[in-house]
Amino acid sequence: MKNPPFTYHRPTTVDEALALLAEFGDDGKVLAGGQSLLPVMALRLGSPEHIIDIGSIDELATITVGDGVTIGAMVRHAEAEKSADIASQAPLIAAAMPYVGHRAIRSRGTVVGSIAHADGAAEMPAVCLATGATMSIASADGTREVAAADFFQGFFTTALEANELLTAVHFPAWSPTAGGSVVEIARRHGDYAMCGLACSIDVPNGTITEAALSFFSVAGQPIRVAEAEQALIGKPATESSFADAATVVAEHLDPTGDIHATANYRRQLATVLTRRGLAEAASRIGVPA
Amino acid sequence: MTDTQDRQRSGLGFVGQRVKRVEDERFLRGAGTYVADVQPDGVLHAAFLRSPYPHATINSINVNKASRLDGVAKVFTGAELNDVTNPFLPFFMLEGLYTPLYKCMSDDKVRHVGDVVALVVAESRYIAEDALELIDVDYTELPSIASIDDALTPGRVQLWDKANGNVLGDIDASYGNVDEIFAKADHVITRTLDCPRQTNQPMETRGTVVEVDPQTGHLDIHNTSQAPHMLKWATAALLVNEGGFKNLGKFVKNAERRSAFLGAAKSFVTTNKEKLKASDPAGQKSQFEKDKSMVKHQMRMASGLLAADDYPTVKAVDIGGAFGSKGPVTREDIAVAAAAKQLGRSVQWIEDRVENLQDGGQAREERFDVSIAVDADGTLRGMKVDAYLDQGAYPAFPISSAIIPQLWKLYMPGPYNFEAFELNTKVLATNKGRVVPYRGPWANETFMRERMLDIVAGELGMSPADLRAKNVMREGSMPDAFITGPSIDETMSVAKTLDRALEMIDFDQLEEDKAAAEARGHKLGLGIASYHEAAPGPPNFFSSAQPGSDMFLYEDGRAEVEADGSIKMYTSQSPHGQSHQTTYMQVAADELGVPMEDVEIVWGNTDRTQFSFLGTGGSRGGPLGAGVMRMTAREVRNQVVEVAADMLEAASGDIEIVDGNIHVAGVPAKGITYADVAAKVATDKRISSGAVFSEEMKYEGVGNGGWSVATHVAWVDIDLETGMVEIPRYLVVEDCGPIINPGVVDGQVRGGVAQGIGAVFYEKHHYDDNANLLSATYMDYLIPTAMEIPEIDIEHMETLTSGENDARGTGEGGMIGAPAALTNAVSDALGVEVHEQYLPPYRLLELAGVITPD
Ligand SMILES: Cc1cc2nc3c(=O)[nH]c(=O)nc-3n(C[C@H](O)[C@H](O)[C@H](O)COP(=O)(O)OP(=O)(O)OC[C@H]3O[C@@H](n4cnc5c(N)ncnc54)[C@H](O)[C@@H]3O)c2cc1C
Repeated sequence: MKNPPFTYHRPTTVDEALALLAEFGDDGKVLAGGQSLLPVMALRLGSPEHIIDIGSIDELATITVGDGVTIGAMVRHAEAEKSADIASQAPLIAAAMPYVGHRAIRSRGTVVGSIAHADGAAEMPAVCLATGATMSIASADGTREVAAADFFQGFFTTALEANELLTAVHFPAWSPTAGGSVVEIARRHGDYAMCGLACSIDVPNGTITEAALSFFSVAGQPIRVAEAEQALIGKPATESSFADAATVVAEHLDPTGDIHATANYRRQLATVLTRRGLAEAASRIGVPA
Repeated sequence: MTDTQDRQRSGLGFVGQRVKRVEDERFLRGAGTYVADVQPDGVLHAAFLRSPYPHATINSINVNKASRLDGVAKVFTGAELNDVTNPFLPFFMLEGLYTPLYKCMSDDKVRHVGDVVALVVAESRYIAEDALELIDVDYTELPSIASIDDALTPGRVQLWDKANGNVLGDIDASYGNVDEIFAKADHVITRTLDCPRQTNQPMETRGTVVEVDPQTGHLDIHNTSQAPHMLKWATAALLVNEGGFKNLGKFVKNAERRSAFLGAAKSFVTTNKEKLKASDPAGQKSQFEKDKSMVKHQMRMASGLLAADDYPTVKAVDIGGAFGSKGPVTREDIAVAAAAKQLGRSVQWIEDRVENLQDGGQAREERFDVSIAVDADGTLRGMKVDAYLDQGAYPAFPISSAIIPQLWKLYMPGPYNFEAFELNTKVLATNKGRVVPYRGPWANETFMRERMLDIVAGELGMSPADLRAKNVMREGSMPDAFITGPSIDETMSVAKTLDRALEMIDFDQLEEDKAAAEARGHKLGLGIASYHEAAPGPPNFFSSAQPGSDMFLYEDGRAEVEADGSIKMYTSQSPHGQSHQTTYMQVAADELGVPMEDVEIVWGNTDRTQFSFLGTGGSRGGPLGAGVMRMTAREVRNQVVEVAADMLEAASGDIEIVDGNIHVAGVPAKGITYADVAAKVATDKRISSGAVFSEEMKYEGVGNGGWSVATHVAWVDIDLETGMVEIPRYLVVEDCGPIINPGVVDGQVRGGVAQGIGAVFYEKHHYDDNANLLSATYMDYLIPTAMEIPEIDIEHMETLTSGENDARGTGEGGMIGAPAALTNAVSDALGVEVHEQYLPPYRLLELAGVITPD
């Protein structure tokens, strides 16, 4: 369980990092917090020849407020967890943080690294999908922006090319009448969930005008259940609306099974989490559920 | 009543006190000496190439590229290491059981994922692992045997050519008139219960650092062994010296060794004459008939032992847990020693977690088809069990897991008055990791029996508590012996723990709590389980299972006072988390009348401690290990008192030793010290160092040796929406006799219960239908953490006997009782019969009828 040899690079600017990525292409790999990459290398499931550590690029370690909030690539989970700006501008991130691994992992791991890694069982990709986040991607050839819905493409697979860096992720402004929550069921404290949900509802005047139900750990990538979201629109934020949505979730979600959770069990959790998650979201905005 | 007991009972002295562990200071500061902390100059690092397949033939292996990698000292193929080692030939064989002979490395066939195929020795573990990737092995995959059912199906691919299918043998036993009892009883209740595979998971994985003395070639083996002497002898026997019978000639010529060895052998045979006669040589004979090569190999091993120029020294300092997995000598231990010897250089191998999950030791995959004969009034009459034990590919060495049915034979009817009992066990070979003893290796018998008792109670419409209370053996009407043979004495106090536990349960409150849980969409249940455990058991315990097998059941120890007055206690135990150092210091300090810190405990070095076959294992550290500390310390104290009496011009009967002050009773001001007395003897003997007082002893325990018993009660709360479980309360009422250190006993009980909670709710070692390992990392093999373990209430009942050292073992019990109590609680909560030990959340919802299986 020792990693294969590699050459280590420690650029201090984004441009330097992009030049290195351009040079090494498929043989290079970005290292952020290392909490996912290093285990992969230790198990020799991956053996990149060049490691480009972005930990010394100060310009990436920023949280910027403006029409929502933008989180730079070197913002650690722990910083996001205690950031007042994130709590007010992107409450779903704050809600997700306590579930991401353990404290020690959150001290090193990064929010954006988790998004780039795109584990279908991870919280942040689902939060991105629920909130309609935008990915800022850079390469030596220029920059581009990709919507979360186009970014996650399957089992550990994203729109990122080998020569690209995910420099930041932008989360749009949070409606003052919206409530959200992240709920999940994991086997042990700190484990990846067997099933989880990042959800939000906007209830400006008694009825739901917008809804997002973004499930994680049900497939290779986070999944939104549009039919259930649709079923909520125009309904009051009540337990019975949420229960109806849960029924729709059960009909439309087709989760996978593994040694920890059967497909039927995941479907059961998804329905329970729909009810629990929406009730918690409603309680955040003081809507009587 | 003796002096010690007086003090023990009145709470004076260190014994009985919640003394802080002396080990913790170094452990918590990171200052322990674990095997990876031993770094000899220039040590090389080893890594094994392991099979990715469950079952395959090896057509060819090419190590050229790997050998040329910079920093690689040598790549050993399996064949090369097998040339310089003897095959593993089990020491103990059982009549009717085929115990395969296997080699240090696999050179023609691999039999499980992780099977060892080649060994790289390099300047670093990194380089060694780089080289592994350059080795080319051509395999042809074979079908695999992945389960108990596969192994029982005739005509399938066979793991061992000379065996009869994959059923390696039957271990049967019958007591009482089974047919008659079953014919007469009112009801016969039959079920099948399943236990999944688990793995012992110590924090420190296996490891061995083989240090080669460049001048003499002597091997110092620093190892994580629970049984260092066993490893020393096995290494001597398994490393080929010059091969064949030439060694015998050399041995005959070496007069010193010859007389030492023959002297030892002769004394062993004379002291154990009767036991040896009884010890079933037929078992070996029938094995040898199946595999003639075994005779040759036994001779090779014997000649290795006789003619080795030099036996290695094994050193085990601090060990980060084992739970039984580090008792066996493993192929890796021998391969690394052989490699170091070949290279003439020190080599270390530190097992990583992936290797450990593949073959560090697995356990408990068993199935029981059980019938219980019972009368309508709840009187238990008889029990019949067909058991199946999945041993994995390579049997543990030198004692295979076939020892487990030998213990089932004695334990299965439990502390209840069954009149008849029959057990038929099939030991099965599968393409999975090696099965080793795991904390209470026989424990599934308690799960099986206690689960069945609840099922029987359900069928009869009785409460599980009443059924147990009615049938448990009680003082007054207790038989002299179990129907399975072992004698019973007052320490078999299960009834007392059961009665106490039932007193401590508020059954009215339970009904209220159940209703409250239901109102929240949860289900709450309560489960009870009782057991008895030989710790170390009466003198006829092991011979009840296998005549003659009690001949190794003693514990050696030595007490010494050196010329400078320092006190050293030598134990052959090999502590790995059980707090031997603290408890032995307590015991010796009380006997010697000195502060604890004046006593040094010496362990784990085969040059300094006496031979012990088992090292630490079998709950013997308290009764026998502490016992020999007590007895030898007492003798040395007497020797010291004799000399001190002369020095103080008093009668030895008037001498007292308090806090290291040796004085005439009532005149503490005119005291002398151990150093003064030792100095006097040293001067008289004209020596300046070494022992001036010494006592060595083989301690077999006294009286009936004793049972350790307990009743566990679990409260389990299940969320019916998610299957998530909480354990609002867990109670253990235990009796391990007079306690040396309550803190240590509590720790052992809690740790055991935690592993039982793991067994039921978290831990299953998953293999797929083709015997590929699925739980190959800690992402998938889930061990409960502090977050998942509730408070555990412990009630101690200290039944005393007339014995001198009456402390009884308590290391295994927590793990034995917990799976039964927890599954019983789940069954009570859900109102369904539970037939399996592993209950993850999805399974709980299936049982509750909330979801259907996929
Ligand atoms: C025991 C344990 C438990 C965990 N539990 C959870 C959990 O419950 N939920 C959860 O979500 N996560 C969990 N994690 C993962 C953790 O959150 C990681 O921190 C996260 O997945 C990756 O972030 P990182 O900064 O460590 O990325 P790294 O490990 O450094 O990188 C991960 C991958 O993303 C790529 N990458 C990283 N940053 C960029 C970038 N800016 N641009 C392009 N590519 C990039 C890397 O090249 C690599 O392929 C756990 C980890 C461990 C070890």
